[in-house]
Amino acid sequence: MIWAKEETLPRAEIEEIQLARLQSTVSYIYERVPSYRKKMEEAGVKPEDVKTLKDLQKLPFTNKSDFRENYPTGMFAVPSSQLQRVHASSGTTGKPTIVGYTKNDLHMWTNNVSRIACLGGATGDDIAQICFGYGMFTGALGLHMGLENIGACVMPTSTGNTKKQLMFMQDMGTTLLVATPSYALRIGEVAKLNGIDPIRDLNLKIGLFGGEGMTEAMRAEMKKMWGEDFLCTQNYGMSELCGPGVSGECEYLCGMHINEDWFIPEIIDPNTGEVLPAGEKGELVITCLGREALPLLRYRTKDISRLFYEPCKCGRTTCRMENLSGRSDDMLVIRGVNVFPGQIEEVLLKIEEIGPHYEILVERKNHLDVMTISVELVDDRLLDKYSMLSALETRIRQGLRDILGLDATIRLMAPQSLQRFEGKAKRVTDLRKDGL
Amino acid sequence: MLKQLSVFVENRSGSLMNVTNALLDADINIRAISSFDTPEFGILRLIVDEPEEAKAALTARGFVVRVGDVLAVELEDKKGSLNAMLKILADGNISINYIYSFVIRENQAPVMVFHTDDIEEATQLLENHDLIIVD
Repeated sequence: MIWAKEETLPRAEIEEIQLARLQSTVSYIYERVPSYRKKMEEAGVKPEDVKTLKDLQKLPFTNKSDFRENYPTGMFAVPSSQLQRVHASSGTTGKPTIVGYTKNDLHMWTNNVSRIACLGGATGDDIAQICFGYGMFTGALGLHMGLENIGACVMPTSTGNTKKQLMFMQDMGTTLLVATPSYALRIGEVAKLNGIDPIRDLNLKIGLFGGEGMTEAMRAEMKKMWGEDFLCTQNYGMSELCGPGVSGECEYLCGMHINEDWFIPEIIDPNTGEVLPAGEKGELVITCLGREALPLLRYRTKDISRLFYEPCKCGRTTCRMENLSGRSDDMLVIRGVNVFPGQIEEVLLKIEEIGPHYEILVERKNHLDVMTISVELVDDRLLDKYSMLSALETRIRQGLRDILGLDATIRLMAPQSLQRFEGKAKRVTDLRKDGL
Repeated sequence: MLKQLSVFVENRSGSLMNVTNALLDADINIRAISSFDTPEFGILRLIVDEPEEAKAALTARGFVVRVGDVLAVELEDKKGSLNAMLKILADGNISINYIYSFVIRENQAPVMVFHTDDIEEATQLLENHDLIIVD
């Protein structure tokens, strides 16, 4: 089901809506947000300079640091009396990012999430279990409102207590799971440990995954766990951009459809800030249109992606963004080689003898970067001979060397011994200190 | 042929005890145990009274466990008996992957447990020489 007619408009009509909303958003922010007005003045741009969509490129970027410098509400364009909701990002370093919503913002957000839910196959008949942490995080309430809006039955089970999650899932016949991909795998694993067959004993048909990226290898793992017919899609968003609802995959799994009437995507070279042509890989920049409480122009997401404008088999004409190949700030530089954790994951998940969980440790020993990757052994057949275990180690190391051009130390561990995550998985530990 | 349990263990304190503790809880009796000096992780080999139950108990606790065949030969407790057995195998060109021993308490007899890739052939050879295969 396609939720909104805006998802199927011809390109010219989408762009017409975008330009009208962009022009009013630029004037709105110029009048109401002093920090951005200052940036525009420094760049010598006035709202009336935006005459075409291409003129977007004249506007200055908004960065995460702007939120920090204007903490808590300096980026807001409305007084607190007009706010109806406030969320915040996790804020692992320093202060959290505070995000506000007016009544109209909440309405727009809800409908955008409904579109994403429908993209992922959800209908009003679904029983949806939301295993995102409620609270200030946008993910849980965003999906909650979007799914309720399409008529689904929502169970706000939040995170934690996986056995209880399974009890609800089994007793209520949950058909749709909202979680991070790593937690979805964890739930399946705990089911098996408790004698529940995830395919036979549970009714799960749809997974709407977010909070962290899902590689194709992880999707294959997901199907192994939850059955061949399990439709698992990922969707994209972040607190600064309302939360979830920016884009999501449809059943054809060819990138995430962007709600383009509300978000204009651009891909830039992260080093020069120059806009790259469609199809090229770079940092995703998003402009939020029509947002009242927190209008954002050209927000640098730090996420690496590509854009495709060809209409999709699903009938939607909206631009698609390629599944993230990493975050520009997730990238590790090991012995001068750029390494994205996703590349390592792709290699590891293709090896059947080990489980889907892993940890990457980067240290500096004798002035050299050393990467150690811990994985869990799951295949008992290798226990016939020690040499088979060493051969597995060699195979993993070789696979990584082929992809990364780097040597890694492989550490085989017992199953269930690596840490499991209910939210975003933290798989990388970098112990290097610059200059040492 | 005798059934042997192989359990994946990491090299850190308490990891052997975690295995024996799980077996104790499942009321499994251990007849023999062996592990070798290996870096980072090892394979613990066990002979127990109920191998399939032991595997189920360990798997439920998250261990990776393999039940496989090994040859166990009851020897006389006197000089040269192990050498004689090994000579039969060597003459038959059978190579041994690993070997360890335990004692059957009732008849005080030492039992040599070993693993080879040619288990059928080794059994035949040893039986031809009237050695007692334990199962």
